[in-house]
Amino acid sequence: MNTSLIKQSIFYRWKVIVIFLFLSFLATSILFAQEQKVSGRITSEDTKEPLPGVNVLIKGTYNGTITNSEGNFVLNVLSGSTLVTSSIGYVTTEVSVGAETMLNIVLKVDVAQLNEVVIIGYDTRERKNIVGSISKFDPTETKSIPVGSFDAQLQGKVAGVQITSNTGVPGEAVAVRVRGATSINADVSPLYVVDGVFINSNSLQTINTGGKATSPIADINPSDIESIEVLKDASATALYGSRGANGVIIVTTKRGNFEQKPTINFNASNGWAKAAKLWELTTGPEHATLVNEWWINTGGDNPTLNRTFANRPFRPASELVNGQPGRGLPEEQQTYDRLSEIFRTAKLKNYDLSLAGGTKSTKYYLASGYNSQEAILRPLTFERISFKLNLDQKINDKVQVGVSNTITSTYRNQGRAGDGPSGGLLQAALHTPTYLSPFNDQGVLVGRAGFDNVTLLINNYDVNTTSLRYIGNLYLEAELLPSLKFRTSVSADYNNYEESEYWNTFLIEGGTTGLGRSTLTRRAVLLNEQTLSYRKEFNKHSLGVLVGNTLQSDVTNRTSAEGRGFANNSIKLISQASTRNSSQDWTKATLASFFARVDYSYADKYLVDFSLRADGSSRFGANNRFGYFPSVGAAWRVKQEGFLQDINFISDLKLRTSYGVTGNQNFQDFPGQGLWAADASYQGNPGIRPSQLANANLKWEQTSQFNIGVDVSILEKRLSFEFNYYNKYTKDGLTNLPISTKTGFSSIASNGIEISNKGFELGIKSVNLSKGGVTWITSFNVAQNLNKIEKLATPIEFGSRSLILQKEGSPLYSFWVYKQLYVDPQTGNAVYEDVDGKAGITSADRQLVGSFWPKFFGGITNDITYKGFDVSLFFSYSYGNKIYNHNRFFGEASGARDAARIIFKNNLNRWQKPGDITDVPRPDGINVNNYLDGGSRFLEDGSYLRLRSLTVGYTLPTSVAKRLRLEKLRFYAVGTNLFLITKYTGLDPEASANSSQNQPGIDLGTPPQPVGVQIGLDLKL
Amino acid sequence: MKATRFIYVLIIVALTSSCNNYLDVKPQANIPDTNPVFDKTSAEQALRGVYSSLYYGATFESIGYLSGDNVQWTGSQSQVQEFIDHGVRAENSTINGAWSGIFRVINLANNVLARVAPLEVSPLFLQADKDKILGEAYFLRALAYFDAARIWGGVPIITKPTLTGTDNTDIGRSSTEQTYAQVLSDLTAAEQLLPSPATLTADDRYRANRKTVFALRARYHLYKQEWAQAEDYATRIISDGANYALLKPFNTFFFPATARGTRESVFEIFYNGTTEINAHRGQWQPQTNGGTRQWAPNDALVALLNNPAIGGARSTLIAKDNQNRWYGNLYYRNPGSDPAYVIRVAELYLIRAEARAQQDKLAPAIADLNAVRDRAAVAPTTAATKDQVLLAIENERRVEFALEPHRWYDLVRTGRAKAVLGFTDDKKLVLPIPAGQVLIDNSLVQNPGY
Repeated sequence: MNTSLIKQSIFYRWKVIVIFLFLSFLATSILFAQEQKVSGRITSEDTKEPLPGVNVLIKGTYNGTITNSEGNFVLNVLSGSTLVTSSIGYVTTEVSVGAETMLNIVLKVDVAQLNEVVIIGYDTRERKNIVGSISKFDPTETKSIPVGSFDAQLQGKVAGVQITSNTGVPGEAVAVRVRGATSINADVSPLYVVDGVFINSNSLQTINTGGKATSPIADINPSDIESIEVLKDASATALYGSRGANGVIIVTTKRGNFEQKPTINFNASNGWAKAAKLWELTTGPEHATLVNEWWINTGGDNPTLNRTFANRPFRPASELVNGQPGRGLPEEQQTYDRLSEIFRTAKLKNYDLSLAGGTKSTKYYLASGYNSQEAILRPLTFERISFKLNLDQKINDKVQVGVSNTITSTYRNQGRAGDGPSGGLLQAALHTPTYLSPFNDQGVLVGRAGFDNVTLLINNYDVNTTSLRYIGNLYLEAELLPSLKFRTSVSADYNNYEESEYWNTFLIEGGTTGLGRSTLTRRAVLLNEQTLSYRKEFNKHSLGVLVGNTLQSDVTNRTSAEGRGFANNSIKLISQASTRNSSQDWTKATLASFFARVDYSYADKYLVDFSLRADGSSRFGANNRFGYFPSVGAAWRVKQEGFLQDINFISDLKLRTSYGVTGNQNFQDFPGQGLWAADASYQGNPGIRPSQLANANLKWEQTSQFNIGVDVSILEKRLSFEFNYYNKYTKDGLTNLPISTKTGFSSIASNGIEISNKGFELGIKSVNLSKGGVTWITSFNVAQNLNKIEKLATPIEFGSRSLILQKEGSPLYSFWVYKQLYVDPQTGNAVYEDVDGKAGITSADRQLVGSFWPKFFGGITNDITYKGFDVSLFFSYSYGNKIYNHNRFFGEASGARDAARIIFKNNLNRWQKPGDITDVPRPDGINVNNYLDGGSRFLEDGSYLRLRSLTVGYTLPTSVAKRLRLEKLRFYAVGTNLFLITKYTGLDPEASANSSQNQPGIDLGTPPQPVGVQIGLDLKL
Repeated sequence: MKATRFIYVLIIVALTSSCNNYLDVKPQANIPDTNPVFDKTSAEQALRGVYSSLYYGATFESIGYLSGDNVQWTGSQSQVQEFIDHGVRAENSTINGAWSGIFRVINLANNVLARVAPLEVSPLFLQADKDKILGEAYFLRALAYFDAARIWGGVPIITKPTLTGTDNTDIGRSSTEQTYAQVLSDLTAAEQLLPSPATLTADDRYRANRKTVFALRARYHLYKQEWAQAEDYATRIISDGANYALLKPFNTFFFPATARGTRESVFEIFYNGTTEINAHRGQWQPQTNGGTRQWAPNDALVALLNNPAIGGARSTLIAKDNQNRWYGNLYYRNPGSDPAYVIRVAELYLIRAEARAQQDKLAPAIADLNAVRDRAAVAPTTAATKDQVLLAIENERRVEFALEPHRWYDLVRTGRAKAVLGFTDDKKLVLPIPAGQVLIDNSLVQNPGY
């Protein structure tokens, strides 16, 4: 079937459904509208402009509304009540309602955002009362960055959260590290909690895409997200004990408000993306020259090879050697460009439609979105259709129920960009020598160098994935006593992940009769959770107590089928294949947790938090099943003390510290059990063999973390700082510790490692200008993390050619290379550092040189608004990280790989004659000396400064909008990755061929993050 | 309100009390290692597990032929080129794969030996059944140690199963002599335990019986230069004409795709092509056949095979693709159900020819050599002196086993490798212990020069 037709019809149906749903919902909500009693107008003290979207709540109730585009609101109020107005960026203000029916309320700009409500584990707290280290982030500003998942959009925005986009293919996994990494084999990505659901963040992909994996986070439409909180220190994360060690990312989706009139938001954008640059390759004649040079050099080094000028490969066709003609002189060679065939200007589309509103007892948020992004690399695409329904209903004064529902269908055309010869897109397009024609002498398209033919590959690629995802939560909240609240919820994260591959006979993978694969993976995370919370305020004391429990099960089922032997290329279903093969997998893990927290504050000055969580995990044996994770945190709001009251320079000052322990059990499902598997059939009859050694003592990995921080704001809160220093120490780290393979096993699950992460984070926010309708705000963040493996019995190798070695005393992800010192100007030979002092450069001379970790990293944002205009300029940066340019390793072997690989232009800078000063040695063969695998010549500085996004917007004046019967209309343009400053000679310093956590920073066949431009509009009515 | 609270408390209590059951999750694809082998059926399954894990297929074979002078590498991975260049580095991933594959088989065989020996004999599990299982396990262990010895020289000799993470970890390398002694001891044990069926079925060629042991012993004695015994054991197979023969034409043993377990075959590993895949073809076949042709016959070999006076019918081992390039066609079945040919009758003829020539029995040696040549439709040899005959046998082996893993080991055991392959460093005659293993295992001492 024609896929573009299918897509069009899907999109059409989506539009129809969405419009129908909205119309019907709109009709019902209008019926519930109420009449008014008190009206008011809210303006900004700073700009004198009316403030739309301000929350107005009657104190002590859930009743309230929000202001319209002119800052007006109307509300049923009893006289004598107090109204609480709050809006992000403004100081929360209380106004008591007297006899007057028209209120004028002026809000002050709050730079430090002390009243910002922050979600902590199982509760919310105002920023000023936070003890732990938590960053809150509003995704509105980044949701236009064209990547698949919101985590990729967070790059550079949150101090201490290192985000690396491994690839420019939208919807592929990114590496997210909160305050470093605490483990080797257990998961080091943070825990994602969406509306209370602990969602799966590990890709379900089984298709071989050369090491890349899809991002399950891309199933969430960033436009539905209200806020993202990143919990970093132990005080904040300990309540999520089981996976708190690598940070917790809490995502809260949008909800309506009670007493809010129906508001429709529509956003549409279209854009284009393109690679900023591509690899520079030698021409056919250049390639041939280098091959001849290598031939003659190696023949001179070793006469038994019989390689001479006379029998060089690129000699006149008329000169026969062993009856074989030459390939023609170098200057006779053609140059064929395959790269421009596979890279394209990608199209980007995004549409979001939402409806939010509420009545006295109901509030709702209903949304749908369509996002389509082509990758710059043909034929990869990403497409997402999402539906969202959040509903809350008060049953009476005491009881409220609600649901959050996210349904997404994500469709991808996938392909092998990275490693692996068959089906490899960049193998075919980049790594095939330029002098080789795509046609054979009969004019038939043929693959060269063992790779597929690019044209055939693009036209016949048929690998696609559909992820159908439901994330939902149903809760009931009851006020048992005035200070005692009970909440129970059930949640599900259900993912139906369907993959299909069809390789026809034009492709290597398809062979002579075609190959089809179909895999269906279902992963269901089910959660049940109860909490009981108590809060009491008396005199100057405030006490909160929370107890709760969680049960979580996580089941993955997978069935797959494979067929070979198709009658022809039009028949694609496995049922029609002559040879069929199938398989089934099942795995499950469960977690039972109990937790408690006590928080106490005195006079709004002294705050303390204690928490304890006990987690039982099915992954450990009966004796070590439970892990206990305590934490304590304290904060001192120094500004509240008398001695600072009169110092106006300091607007606010808070000191915070915390210490606690968090755990990690996110490891393979049955790690400690001694097992035999029946996967060893012979002659078609069942066979069994040992598959895993037992470790009955396997237990929780534990990370203790100390944090000390200070929050300061000065100059009437125009300048605020947040600084944190932390020290994390992980012991009993879960590892598949290598054991000598002479035992018949390669590893055993163990608690053998210890890892430390120490660092600081600094965030600065400055209101540079806030006058006469102009505001200019700069936010800056910088963080450093020092990672070190403190204890590890045996080093562990990772990555192609063991380029990464995890070794005691060094950071994780350190590159294990032969350090090239220089190229001898006399001989042209590379000289390496001889580590062991013995003759010859052997594996004993490899050393750890640099790592994937930056020395520091962060981002800078400038937001400027003037009247209707808004400009946002956002840079992200990383300094001191290393990247191994594995493309060069293949493409700069001089002529030694002959017809098997491309040669990069840079190889022309090779040593040719005594006296040449260069770092590219003379050609001497592959992996002999000068072109050693793992030579440090290809280990490069991956530091960068990137203009991640530049947004320019214009909002129509309210009066104009009004005439168009709109609340708001904004036009905008977003440019992404408009420039990149880096010394890295590859395309993208963030590239990583493999998305597995232990092999970051090895760039091979990775499409870069593109330069993009999008234009769009935001419409509200 | 009170009632509601009571219900909540009940729910919580109910949920927490069932907690331990909730946390007890067992895998469904595995069985516990506590007692996996307890009767005849499970013992046979464990034995099949050893066959299924045999490291033949692609990785191991490639060491033998890439290190020779028949095969070129058209791909770009340096680790493959290293064999051809005789510059294998200790990080070489093929070496690492072969090492772990061989020791895995040794551990599996050790498991069968240790777990089956104590099982009680019963009417459902006869002594003969038990002996057969043990005998096959001894054979497989002998094969593994033999292959290890010819790649690396001495290796750690491990004869007990690894049951915990510390078992066997402190056993260092034995000498080459000790390793070969272990091979002989295992072969001797296998010979005593295994039956010797009068008429072999195809099945008997996929599994070891006493005759398979004879064949491997013939090769063992050849490597040990124990000529009389090599001759003796080779004769035991060659003389069994009812079961073993040189089939004509040459490609009968591998063509057509249904050919397997022929009378040519003494021992071959079975792959059913669905759950048991021989990945070898992917490296040999051209793109149009769903391969990458990264291992290809080099110009010299193509010339030899296509020469009617040398290659004869063995030219069927190669074919041409649509880019006019030659490719090896011994492994071609799709999906990968090509057998891995471990011992063929032709090898026993050539073993005996060499053993006889070394004992100066030139006429019978030449007769054996000519039997192989005749089968390939090549005229009898003109070699006359002992040296000529030995050289003729060496050259015959090169083309007879052009795509099978013999050439390198043959040249090494005859001391001809440096002269024929053009390198000077004696240390290159054994390959390196994998660097990664030396890194994590202090009891392993690297071979000199690596």
